[in-house]
Amino acid sequence: MLNADLIIGIVSLVIAVTAWVPTRGLTLLGGVFVDYTLIVLASLSVVIVIKGIAKPEKLRFFESVVERNNILIGLAMLLVYLVFMPKVGFLPASYLMYAAFNWYLSEDRMKTKNIIISVLVSLVVVTGFYLVFRNVLGVPLPKGSWFD
Amino acid sequence: MFEAAFLGLAKVFQLGNFFCLVIGVIFGIVIGALPGLTATMGLALLIPFTFTMTPAMGLIMLGGIYVGAMYGDAIPAVLINTPGTPAAIATTFDGFPLAQKGMAQHGLVAAALASAYGSLLANIVLATSAPPLAEASLKFGPPEYFWLGIFGLTIIATLAVGSLVKGLLAGALGLLLSTIGIAPIGGDIRLTFGYTELQGGVELIVALIGFFCLPEILSSFIAKRQATYSAEKIIPRFSVVREVIISLLKMPVLMLRSSAIGTIIGIAPGAGGNIASLVSYNEAVRWDKNPKEFGKGTIKGVAASEAANSAMAPGSYGMRPGHELFSTHATTTFAFIMSMLLAAGLVTVIGSFGSFLYPRILNIPARHLAPGIIFMTILGSYSIRNNILDVWIMFLFGVIGFISNKLKFHPAPIVLGLILGPYVEEGLVQSVLCGRAGGSILAYMFLRPISLVLIALCILSALWPLYASWRSKGKIGEKIL
Repeated sequence: MLNADLIIGIVSLVIAVTAWVPTRGLTLLGGVFVDYTLIVLASLSVVIVIKGIAKPEKLRFFESVVERNNILIGLAMLLVYLVFMPKVGFLPASYLMYAAFNWYLSEDRMKTKNIIISVLVSLVVVTGFYLVFRNVLGVPLPKGSWFD
Repeated sequence: MFEAAFLGLAKVFQLGNFFCLVIGVIFGIVIGALPGLTATMGLALLIPFTFTMTPAMGLIMLGGIYVGAMYGDAIPAVLINTPGTPAAIATTFDGFPLAQKGMAQHGLVAAALASAYGSLLANIVLATSAPPLAEASLKFGPPEYFWLGIFGLTIIATLAVGSLVKGLLAGALGLLLSTIGIAPIGGDIRLTFGYTELQGGVELIVALIGFFCLPEILSSFIAKRQATYSAEKIIPRFSVVREVIISLLKMPVLMLRSSAIGTIIGIAPGAGGNIASLVSYNEAVRWDKNPKEFGKGTIKGVAASEAANSAMAPGSYGMRPGHELFSTHATTTFAFIMSMLLAAGLVTVIGSFGSFLYPRILNIPARHLAPGIIFMTILGSYSIRNNILDVWIMFLFGVIGFISNKLKFHPAPIVLGLILGPYVEEGLVQSVLCGRAGGSILAYMFLRPISLVLIALCILSALWPLYASWRSKGKIGEKIL
């Protein structure tokens, strides 16, 4: 069980301090609004921390181990996609990401038919969007630094 | 004037012009429905095509795109909790809960009809009283923007779920996010931590996708790994259109108020549809007999947001009528205004028929739908500035949004702070500069007529939660902490 208010308050305080340090050298015009915002942010954070200590509100973050694992796997897949997209290029990375998510969310993952469907749908959807964004909307999508 | 208006209408009904209007509306709906592509981007994309057209034909097409996009942004807002453009942020508050209750079609029909109504009313106002409105808009100076921003921030009292202090904290975080990048006045580079790409600030649409869409995908699709998004198959019905029309007819005050708010905010140069929809939503909650219905899925919330963001579109064209606009070019000007009136009618038709199609998207198996939405969020975030850092920011905001939802710390006020921060900051700093030059900062900020009205509204709005608690005989402290 987590003390939600305490976590929110402490994280907000850390953010306020992190923003306070590099904004000390700003001019009056550039810094006045930042300063007011940081004062308000820090003050409210302290109120929330005090509330978290005085009247803690306990919350369960994940409802089950399965939910936690699903979320972590999903985030890991997204993370891998974002790390590799600029390196291998938009198209190959997106084919892999789309097919992987499609396969991961299918019910009978080990069936050959499902794997083939995931790959085919990935090819069609990603290529379709790639062509629309690149050729119609003129968005230059990453080519991949490994192939430059 | 009436003759010019009639000639303008006749011009819109010319075959080529009307065809361009239909194409414009359809294109606008598609652009609005794609997160990451805004109405302005749609206009920018099609402007080169209008160079070969007559002025009237080009303007008619662009008017259609804008009106179409103002409705199109409600489609993803209702279906997947992602505003297609920032103007639909308030549509998600009730549109998405409607979809979760299996009433997506209700939300979509309400969005189409309210959009059309707002656009219709604003165009009538524009057609009949554009010159005095344009003059009034010029009286909107830095202090007025500052107070409008502060008034907007009082909406946190409505958006804060459970605790007002937590809502204010989230708002302050949003204001801090809005300061990232080059200062609007002074030119200081702030909080970029060495990333030159951040000098342009945090893109609003990136924050919207991150805070609203990604957490929903994580919690609804990936956490549960269920076969379809909704437990029951969604089957749109003809009777829903009739039901929604009857419901909207029963709320004339809400519709009129929302359209008026959108029209007034649209006239203020630079103020966007996002502010219009948020202010309108807030007022709908404030004046409703059952404010607790809001946020849980009511068409009143969708109608308030959509009527306002569509009503601000005509004013936002920044038509500064000199004598020539309504004399020498009167027919073309009225053709443009009439095209937006007709576009509103087309949105009603396309939106009502479309409501039989769009909700079926939620029947698509999750294994196909979820990766598609993830893919769109990434493309949408990337395509705004062609910058991979925006995708990373979207991902980071998505994770923060997921965690904060779990901790009952709703991210809507963060986005509100991000939207209003630039208005408040620019208004404050410019007021300080102008006030100092004029001899008194306080007099400049507090004693201008429009400022006085906005200050009164801010005070009323800030005190409203206390009054509401007293009225409902609840404990004031419970809501505040």
